[in-house]
Amino acid sequence: MTNAAAVPAPSSSHDRVGFSLNRVSVIGVNTLTEAIRQKVFIFLLLVGLVFIGSAIFFSQYSLGEQEQLKVIKDTCLGVISVISTLIAIVGTAQLLPSEVENRTIYTILAKPVRRFEFLLGKFYGSVLLLVLSMAAMCLMFGAVLWIKEQSMIRELSQTYLGETQAATEQANQQIEQVRIAVLDVNMVKAVLTDLVKAMLVASVTLLVSTFSTSLVFNVAVPFMIYMAGMLRGTAVEMWSSHRLAMAVLAIVPDFGLFSLADDINLGNLVPWAHVDQVIVYGLARMVVIVVAAHLIFSRREI
Amino acid sequence: MRIKILIAVLLLGAGLVLLPLENWVRAERTRLKYGGARVSIQLREAIGQNLAIALLAGMRGIVADFMWINGHDYWEKKEWLRQYRNIEVVAALQPQAVMFWDLGQWHMAWNIGYGVLSDPKNRTKAEGLKREHEWHEKAREFLERGIENIPNRYDLYFTMGWLYYEKLSKDCDQPPCHEAFCKAAEYFGKAASFPDAPQFVTRFYPRALEKCGQTRAAYEEWKRLWFLDHSKVAQSWNIIEREIRELENQLQIPNDERLFPPPLP
Repeated sequence: MTNAAAVPAPSSSHDRVGFSLNRVSVIGVNTLTEAIRQKVFIFLLLVGLVFIGSAIFFSQYSLGEQEQLKVIKDTCLGVISVISTLIAIVGTAQLLPSEVENRTIYTILAKPVRRFEFLLGKFYGSVLLLVLSMAAMCLMFGAVLWIKEQSMIRELSQTYLGETQAATEQANQQIEQVRIAVLDVNMVKAVLTDLVKAMLVASVTLLVSTFSTSLVFNVAVPFMIYMAGMLRGTAVEMWSSHRLAMAVLAIVPDFGLFSLADDINLGNLVPWAHVDQVIVYGLARMVVIVVAAHLIFSRREI
Repeated sequence: MRIKILIAVLLLGAGLVLLPLENWVRAERTRLKYGGARVSIQLREAIGQNLAIALLAGMRGIVADFMWINGHDYWEKKEWLRQYRNIEVVAALQPQAVMFWDLGQWHMAWNIGYGVLSDPKNRTKAEGLKREHEWHEKAREFLERGIENIPNRYDLYFTMGWLYYEKLSKDCDQPPCHEAFCKAAEYFGKAASFPDAPQFVTRFYPRALEKCGQTRAAYEEWKRLWFLDHSKVAQSWNIIEREIRELENQLQIPNDERLFPPPLP
């Protein structure tokens, strides 16, 4: 005969377990490992790397050396931006649905893991995936720039070979200009803002995937939100007098604000203060979206 | 239902809270002249659907580069109006690109200008000249817009000076066409005033002054350049010396006032 009063009341894992960054980290790393094995990710990354590598061939269609450098930088930074956005959408869209479909989510949530930790871990894994893929693309970009720099220096040296001392000095000046143009540290700002933009896109995708189980829906909706976000600046200019329209627009993040690569390539002044504000804006939006995703996911019947 | 409303309020509220920051960043972008022509129906018609999608995806630079490379086709086929329209669209897409304004005016004033001048369809030589002048004017007007967009760099001032010096100076009816050279001097002077302007730019200013008829001012400018610190400024000093010697002879400067007096007999 058992004493019912002596048996402790069943309680949820939420009551027993506190928040742990370690668990978030473990889920994140595990998510990254799974994502890297996905063929879609490998395919997208390969496409990105091939496009970046071929920028050196595209540039040959233009006339001057400065033009060629501009084409290379535009192409590489553009590809990094687009591919990272696509990886953010495709990589994040299947995180939750695949866990539900494979029923692995039940095993994880049956353990002392909070739903918020699980969600945050998934998002962390997605961010790690973005950092990794962008690092790979940036390495390729650096290699392309280095190859171009060497070929430009070689050409300049050959042009002025055996010329007068004044011509040699001029060649040295031009070589220095090429080095300055190639090693533009401002490009780091473009990559950073692109990373934050991709993270924001990933958070939007995560939010959508908390209430939808369809992969197509999870990919299509964030993509449409991204396009709407790119057009937001134009819409704000057009509808600035309509308060209701402006309020509705406020829901969509302005992805156009993250586009700094073109201006950096053109040699425009892009102060760190401006980059910081863009990053703060992106991170603030991201936090709110992840919290909204948590609110939905914590009440979802699994 | 309650949770859906809560989430909608959360997203909307956060959007509204972040609106001042967003507006501030947008205003900063406008102040720093980032971006380019707004995505509109006119722009979409000019660039085509595929490029418009690329533009929407944030690939403004690639779209402009791609269109620019395409423009070479029009040049080779001598489709001047198409090339002109292409240049205009590319410059509108990236109005902060010196390259597009610089090379765009070069196409108009030099390539298209010569193309229409030597067009076998011209009935008379005068017609060819008139058409060439029209393209020079188009280039000047185009470059003026470029300077409005990029007023804080020496490049386009120099290009405008060069346009006046090389092309617009030949468009006047009565040589020696001082007016165009005076305008060239004005732009070269402005370009030379930028600290990062290359040294050859500073030499064009007195050259244009001389052609403008202000020989004395040109001499003074050459002298000013000569008195710059030779150990600190990288300059072709032999050219400056040659020009000063020539002007001292031309202006008949007394020997005791010359920088380079002739050797005693």
